[in-house]
Amino acid sequence: MELEREEVLSAIHHCVKCKLCSITSFHPREEWLPLCPSGQFYGYQAFYAPGKMEIFRAILEGEITEPSEGLLNAVYACTVCGACYEKCKQITSVELGAPDLFEAMRHELASKGWILDVHKNIAEKIKETRNAYGEKYEYKAKSSDENADVLYYIGCTARYRVPEIADAMLEIFDKIGIKYQVMDEEWCCGSVLIRTGQVEAAKELVAHNVEEIKRSGAKTIVFTCPGCLKTFEKNYPDMGVELVHSTQFLLRQGNMNLKKEDLKAAYHDPCHLGRDLGIYEEPRAVLSEVADIKVMKREKEQAWCCGSGGGVKSAFDDFALWSATERLKEAKEAGAEALVSACPFCKRNLKEAAEKEEIEVYDVVELVNRCLER
Amino acid sequence: MLREVIKMDEMVSRLVKELQAIVGEENATDDRAICTSYSRDQHWHFVPAKNPACVVRPANKEEVRAVLMLANTHKIPVIPYSTGINVRGLTIPVHDGSILLDLSRMNRILEINPEMKTATVEPGVTFGMLLEQTRKYKLRPAFPDAPLTVSVLVNYYLRGIYQTAATDGHDHTISYEMILPNGETLKTGSRALSRMPYFRYGVGPDFAGMFCAHPGTCGVVTELTAKLYRLYDNRKEYFIGFDDVATPTKLIYNLMNDELAASIRLVDNQSWLKGIFGTFDYPYEELPKFVLCVLVEGVDGVFEAKDTLVRAYMKECGGEVLDLPAEFATTFEHESLGGAEKSCMVFGIKGRGNYHCIGLYGPLTLAAKYYEVHEKTALEVGIPKDHVHFYIDPIYSFHGQLCYFELDIFYDGSDPGFGAKLRNYNERQFHKLLDLGIYGWFRPYAGIIEPTVERIGYLAEVWKKFLRVLDPNEIMNRGKLF
Repeated sequence: MELEREEVLSAIHHCVKCKLCSITSFHPREEWLPLCPSGQFYGYQAFYAPGKMEIFRAILEGEITEPSEGLLNAVYACTVCGACYEKCKQITSVELGAPDLFEAMRHELASKGWILDVHKNIAEKIKETRNAYGEKYEYKAKSSDENADVLYYIGCTARYRVPEIADAMLEIFDKIGIKYQVMDEEWCCGSVLIRTGQVEAAKELVAHNVEEIKRSGAKTIVFTCPGCLKTFEKNYPDMGVELVHSTQFLLRQGNMNLKKEDLKAAYHDPCHLGRDLGIYEEPRAVLSEVADIKVMKREKEQAWCCGSGGGVKSAFDDFALWSATERLKEAKEAGAEALVSACPFCKRNLKEAAEKEEIEVYDVVELVNRCLER
Repeated sequence: MLREVIKMDEMVSRLVKELQAIVGEENATDDRAICTSYSRDQHWHFVPAKNPACVVRPANKEEVRAVLMLANTHKIPVIPYSTGINVRGLTIPVHDGSILLDLSRMNRILEINPEMKTATVEPGVTFGMLLEQTRKYKLRPAFPDAPLTVSVLVNYYLRGIYQTAATDGHDHTISYEMILPNGETLKTGSRALSRMPYFRYGVGPDFAGMFCAHPGTCGVVTELTAKLYRLYDNRKEYFIGFDDVATPTKLIYNLMNDELAASIRLVDNQSWLKGIFGTFDYPYEELPKFVLCVLVEGVDGVFEAKDTLVRAYMKECGGEVLDLPAEFATTFEHESLGGAEKSCMVFGIKGRGNYHCIGLYGPLTLAAKYYEVHEKTALEVGIPKDHVHFYIDPIYSFHGQLCYFELDIFYDGSDPGFGAKLRNYNERQFHKLLDLGIYGWFRPYAGIIEPTVERIGYLAEVWKKFLRVLDPNEIMNRGKLF
């Protein structure tokens, strides 16, 4: 646990359990809108931030000495989306973030061997295949210029589950004439391991990727995956390389002659991109060039999580899909024909849930690619 | 010892199976971690953590009835819990082996009746949920100055008779339905006689009043009908600064006596004012030490007349009318008439995350003395002056000059040393306040009942007998009194 024990306990003691963290700002709209997917889905206090903090306290103070099913569910059926912290910060200006606490809690649990089998399996798959899905085939992508300044870090999900995002990004590079590299030996960034408490297992991945990137000579790394970007920003050493999200990169290209579509689209803030990295405006600016944006009630710092992060998709798929369905309904209520995110992991979960909802799901780069004339 | 533990574990396992048969497998558990999440609240310096043996989450009154009857048969303590926001240790188990009865799934608004100006709710309905619906009829509930995530039913039933809109009166409960430990249903007021739950006084004595404001619970209230109040379009806010507590009491008296203001709160410039204004980022220290916040509202004609009178009283009040940013007035309106949200910024005062208060009812005439004794006792136990804060909320219609007073101390919740000072403060202060004279306590704070019971004579005996009749097996959470 990187946070000191006393630091953690101090933060836990500062929670007054008002549970305002479980809803969006009530005033001035005066609508009751839940903000915590985990608490809303499971209901027990253990699944809300104040309950989780009590559990962490009991672990640190030696009151909980064995891993029960409820413990593992309460700790790991949380997307660590950070919405609770953002709300609390607005009200109380507390000094330590709940997501940091909850990741520290997972690290503490993992160090005791209290971890879900499905997450252990992911670690084993990564060890074997260097990707989080255990896929043995190669995603077909080649550098357009092996000495290019721009390196596109594709990430496991865009490589093996939603390749249309990676395809779109690569086509965009080609269309706008950007020379790019992709890594021959791109390993998982380690995000899923770090988020599930398996911090040590991520070290080898970090070391490898750092070495490869240094060898590439790239000056800018572009990410379509906010989870990867966050991990590089927060868990990797400073490589002296610029790290940017695809939407930031696209925005700086200026006028790309995009042909706007007749599409009403709601933008879904990915947690890692928004709450973790503070990138809210760039995706909206890019999306507004290709579609008419419909604003959902819960957005930016108070966006409803899609439900897939923090190891939830792999371990609690019913919960993940429920969260995604809630988001899709919200988009439809806003009058959107499509829900657009800027994260492969969000897209994958939302798309799966959308099979039962009449709404399209895209990543921003897909729409940009579609609207970009050669 | 080990054998006893095993025996207890087996008993709890059997109990959980029986509870699961009532509420479904996923809604009852004795999982240690799940139970731990209910073990402590913000009042942990005074009420130590204690795990319930199991947690059960019924979905309706029939499930509640079955759970209570089961608990009654086996003489197992039951701790009712509504939305999970509790700052006084009232839902922390007192005894080992308790059932935590989490009622948050029962969150239906059963009726909003705009003609009767009432709402009927289940225990899991929060003030936010209710306002979202009532405002469609230009109505609102009477809000406590607690987070709008708290339960409407529990606040009114338990002891939530204070409010931030001075015109609302002090009693918002009309009638309710309660399930007793033996499984019988008790209906109060007109609810007992008909399907019209809109009148408090039905047959015989005021049973609604007899069950309210206990230090614990007598049964489980599964639905409650409460008063709703008008939301007016015409509103105006004033903020008047004073250097002491005594001077503004004349203005408060005039406003209350003439029934002019919807909300009146006297607060010091370093605590609740930050929440009322919705920001930490303002030079509050440059304001007078105490600020009276006044909100006037009403229908056309009445509003203008009230406003004229309020301004006239303000001229002669001896305070300084403050010219503040317009958004402060907007936030004050929201917090007073739409439920407390930003007010909870007090939890972040000094970035420390905790507060302690003694809330009490008393006459306005004693306001300055309450403040004096608050500051004096705090200093005696080593609490610095800059941690001492004060709050007055006068309550309509001012018979007895009824006010809600809050003697606040904001502190670092993680500091056990400060917790010890606060326990010392409480021990002294309860006696001092009782000696000074109060109408009653707001909450049954830990340690408050013992010195109080000594002074209430035969009432204590009658009270105990009353509880024994209702709950002979003593399964309900009777709090710290009996």
